[in-house]
This record gives sequence, C-alpha cells and structure tokens, in this order.
Amino acid sequence: MSRKRRFPENIALDAEQLKVLALACCALVCAALGLANGALDIDLMSLSADGSPEIQRVVFSEIRSPRVFLAGLVGAALATSGATLQGLFRNPLADPGLIGVSSGAALGAVAMIVWGAQLDLPDRILPYALPLASVLGAFLVTIFLFYFSALFGGFNIITLLLVGIAVNAFATVGIGLFQFLADDGQLRSLVFWTMGSFGRASWSSVLPAAGLIAVGAILLLAQRHNLDVLQLGDAEAGHLGVDVNSVKKMVILGSAVAVGAGVALSGIVGFVGLVVPHLVRLIIGPRHKYLLPGCIGLGASISIVADLLSRTIIVPAELPVSLLTSAIGAPFFLYLIGRMKTL
Amino acid sequence: MSIKTKDARKLETLTKIKRLAVGCLVYTFLFPQVSFGSNIDNKSGCAVAPDPSSIVVAGGSITEILFLLGEEDRIAAVDRTSNYPAQAANFPVIGYVRALSAEGVLSLAPSLVLGEDDMGPLEVMSQLESTGISIRRIPEKYSATGIVDKIICVAEVLGYSKSDRTQIRQRFVDQVEEIARFRDKVVERQRPKVAVIMALRDGVPFAAGDNTSANGILEMAGGENVFSGFQGWKPVSLELMVGANPSIIVMPERGLRMSGGREAVLSHPSVRVTAAGKNDGLIVVDGMTLLGFGPRTLQASIDLSSEFARINSQER
Repeated sequence: MSRKRRFPENIALDAEQLKVLALACCALVCAALGLANGALDIDLMSLSADGSPEIQRVVFSEIRSPRVFLAGLVGAALATSGATLQGLFRNPLADPGLIGVSSGAALGAVAMIVWGAQLDLPDRILPYALPLASVLGAFLVTIFLFYFSALFGGFNIITLLLVGIAVNAFATVGIGLFQFLADDGQLRSLVFWTMGSFGRASWSSVLPAAGLIAVGAILLLAQRHNLDVLQLGDAEAGHLGVDVNSVKKMVILGSAVAVGAGVALSGIVGFVGLVVPHLVRLIIGPRHKYLLPGCIGLGASISIVADLLSRTIIVPAELPVSLLTSAIGAPFFLYLIGRMKTL
Repeated sequence: MSIKTKDARKLETLTKIKRLAVGCLVYTFLFPQVSFGSNIDNKSGCAVAPDPSSIVVAGGSITEILFLLGEEDRIAAVDRTSNYPAQAANFPVIGYVRALSAEGVLSLAPSLVLGEDDMGPLEVMSQLESTGISIRRIPEKYSATGIVDKIICVAEVLGYSKSDRTQIRQRFVDQVEEIARFRDKVVERQRPKVAVIMALRDGVPFAAGDNTSANGILEMAGGENVFSGFQGWKPVSLELMVGANPSIIVMPERGLRMSGGREAVLSHPSVRVTAAGKNDGLIVVDGMTLLGFGPRTLQASIDLSSEFARINSQER
C-alpha cells in the first residue's frame, strides 16, 4: 500500500492515523482561537485571578465557552453524518438534508416557535422546548422514512432516496404552513432561526444536546467497517456477512439523533454536512475507519472558525453563520479538487 | 454459530440502544437548569434602572424616544431599525432587534439594555441576564395613549421624577386630543374601508390583518381595516382583495418602490377594480414613521386622518 511506502516501518502510526490526529489537533487549535477571541476583549491570562472583572468571567464561562462547544459539536455531527450517508447511499451528493432529517428537525422547531406561546409551558421546561421539538421532528421523519421504505419493498437505496424526497416535501409543506400561521414576530424569529446561529448556546441546553450527539456519533462510528464493505454494493456486502438493512437503519437513526440534536440548537447550518466529508476524503482517503474521525475533527474546525468570524467581523452585530461556513469551505474545496486533477 | 444466537445478540444491542435513547431523553428533561448570577435584573415594565448611564437600545421607537427626551448622550449603541433621527446613524449597530448577539452587546460595556417588546432572541436575553446587566423591555400597545405610555415608561426607567413624568405627559395631551378630533371627523362622515399593504410581493398583496401595528394606526386615524379577519401580515389572494373592495390603500414608500411605483400598483389587476384603484385612493407613507409606534407616529396619525378625509370628500 502506498501509505506504507512513505513511512518507515518503525513509526507506529501510519499516515492516516497521523492525519486524523492532525485534524483533531486542528480542531483543538480552532477551539482555542474561538475561546480567545470575541466581541468582548477578555484577558485570558488574568481570568483565573480573583481581581478579574466579573463580566469577563461570566462571558467567558457562560456565553463564549458553550458557544464554541456547540459550534464544534454541530460541525462534527453534520460532517460525520454526511460522510456516513454518502457512504450508505454511495452518492457523493448525499447529506443530512437528503433523508429529510434536517427538514424534520426544522419542522419541529418551527412548530414550537409558532405553537409554543399557546402551550403555556412552565418556565423550567421552556428553554428545552425548542430543542426537544426539533429532535422529535427528526425522529418522526426517520420513523416515517423507515415505515414507508419497508412498506415499498425493503430498504434498497432507490426506495430510501425517493421516500426521503417525499418526506422532505412533506416537511417543507409543514414549514410553509407554520410560516403562514405565524404572526409578525414569530415570522421574524423563524427567518433568523433558519439562517442558523450558535449564539443561543448555554450550558443548560448544550450539554443535553452533547449527550444526544455523542450517542448518534457512536452509532455512526460503529458502522465504519460495514460502510467500507457496503461500497462493493448491497448484494456483495450481504454475501460478505454484513447485515445491510441493519447498517442502513443504524446510519439513518444515528444521523437523525446527531443532526436533530444539533440543528435544534443552532438552526440550519449549510455546507458542512455535504462538503467536509469530501475534504476529508481528499486529505485522508476513503476508508471510513479514518474518514469518520477525520470528519469530526475538520467539521468541528470549520464550524468553530466560521462561528468565530460570524461574531467578530461586524462587531457588535453578527453575521449568519451559514454564510461563512460556505464562504470558507467552498474555495478550499475548489482548491482541493483542482489539486486532485493535477496529481 | 447459529443464527439464533446472532439474532439474540442483535436484539440485545437494540435493547441497549433503546435504553440509551430513553435515558438521553429523560436526562434532557431532568437536566437541572443551571442558574447563575444571583443579581438578575430583567424586568418587563418600567422599573427604574439602577444605572442608566450607558444604554444599548434595541428598537427604533425607543431610540426616537431617547432623542425626544434629550437623553441621546446615554446611548452606547442602537439596533438596525433605529433610523430616526438621522444622528442615530452615528452609533454602533448591534444588529436586528430580534437577532441580537450577547457578546456583541456586552462588548460595549453598557449599564442598561433598553428594548422594545419584541427584542430577542429569548436565549440571548437570558445570556445577557446571566451577566447581571439591567434589561428593560418596554410594553407595546398600538394606540395613541400606548405611544405616550411608552415615552413615560422610558422616562421612568431613566429615573425621572413623578412630576417630571406628569410634565412630559402634559406635553402630549393636546396631540392625543387632536388625534381623536381628526379621527372623529373622519368617522362621523363614514369610516373609510382601508387596506394596508406592505408590498405587492411577486404580484401578491402582502396585507396587514388584526393585531398589527398597521391595524393600530387605522384604528387611531379612523379607518376600517378590510382585512381584520386574520392575524398578522399575510399574503392575500387577488380575489380576496377585489372582494374586500377597499376605498383606500395605504402603502409604505419602500414597498411602493419594490412593487414598481404608483402606476404599477394602481393598474395591478387586484387593485384596478377596487374603489381605491378607480378613485386614485393610494396613500404613500413612510413605513417607520407610521408603523414604528414612536413619537412620530402621533403626527403621522393626524396626517393619515386628513388624507382619509380628503379622499372621503372626493368620493362624494
């Protein structure tokens, strides 16, 4: 194998492992950058000292830290689920939006924005209402997808894709309906929610989401070997002892959990789920064993940097983060494609 | 290995996953809501702020009120809807009133966040709250007295004495009476049927229903909203517009430009056949003046009433 040629035998880590490690370090560096910079000047060195202003401490620990954490989580979740879905569908254009998970989550959130006021929820639950509704939306869409795929002759890729399109259409109808029902203020909330932002993060909402995203990520990572085999085709993978249907269910379920929990807090963040997996494939190669951890690293990095830019470019206001994820990722992607051609 | 044991193991894994998922949901529900900052100072209403020396303003009408009171020196920053008076453009802009950024606001080190009823989002407000900064949300009511109440409320937050506040209210008594007088003049003749339209979005009128600022101003000026049957701003079908047959159409200037100008609107199929289309009953207004419900809106209501009266008399 080519990767063995470039490295002498006595180095324990092979090239892929090194690259995964590098991406993980990259994510850590980005997180450090994200924590160190922001609209408010915070002197990190003196932060632990007793004399530091309270406002700096609160902003750092209660506003900026959960925000950076959430950005990393959502980026990692979107990229990982994008990579597994691309592997599952053997289609380079697959992303969490394709199977309707994103729009299902959006539908849940939109419903809560519009109906939430009437529900008269107790204050204790109120902060979780939106994320919960969103996760619930993602789940409902997944159940819908499973049910109809099973009904229409099993879990073959085409059925899944087509049912996914139908599910997406349904969710879009629902979102449109709620937009119509919304009053003026709700409508503006909806618009800003769909633009995506990590600015709503707080520890009390991020930590539960982190738990859900971790569960989703574990479900997805567990399929890394099966996804490799699946690249040969469904039938071939079946002959090799892979329970193809169970792989599909696990990947879709894992994506729904991870993306639903992320989208619930951040709104819709474009680009990361589609293109980060390709970037990682260009950097590391197609084996899911390395691809998925690599996606966690790069997805988190890009999302954290995009968020950092979104909150520092036009201080004291903020840019929608989706704008920046695309603005950072797209040129980088083009560059890598160009380099591939010349190799 | 038999098939049975494989299935059994699969079942076991599935049960584990199910338990994990249920556990996560329960965990999400029960996760203790972290409360920090013992000194939360977030009051809806007009409670006096402990330190109103440096204010971040969220909402065009509130900025207007601060200028009216001569308190513009206290302003640290404004939001994007604060475009009047022109000097408001000299302040840093914290973004849109419903999409504020917690750190952005805090970076200006204000002592008070003073905003309109709809400032947000909720999560950012609670982030701000956790830093112990004072927050005041000024209640909104779409009426003439509602506007005066807003002014008094802001004055109260700034710590004006009771007699000072009474004096300010006194300044507006005449104007509020004048609004009522103009309104009565319109109403005693005949309440004109009015449609307020934001724009003809792709040829579809985007109209104000009940519970909108536009409905409020029609109430103040003596018009009758033909679309009071629904809530909020909605696109209405061309047929509904023709059926409602408004004798007057009110449109903000920006919306008119977006819709292709006066001629384009009046000759639009949904407008041409209405009474408004036939009698040139199109009133063009400045959107923020009329619908912002700041101090300027008081005079705007009087102007609108006179326009109503003028068009009313032409019809006879």
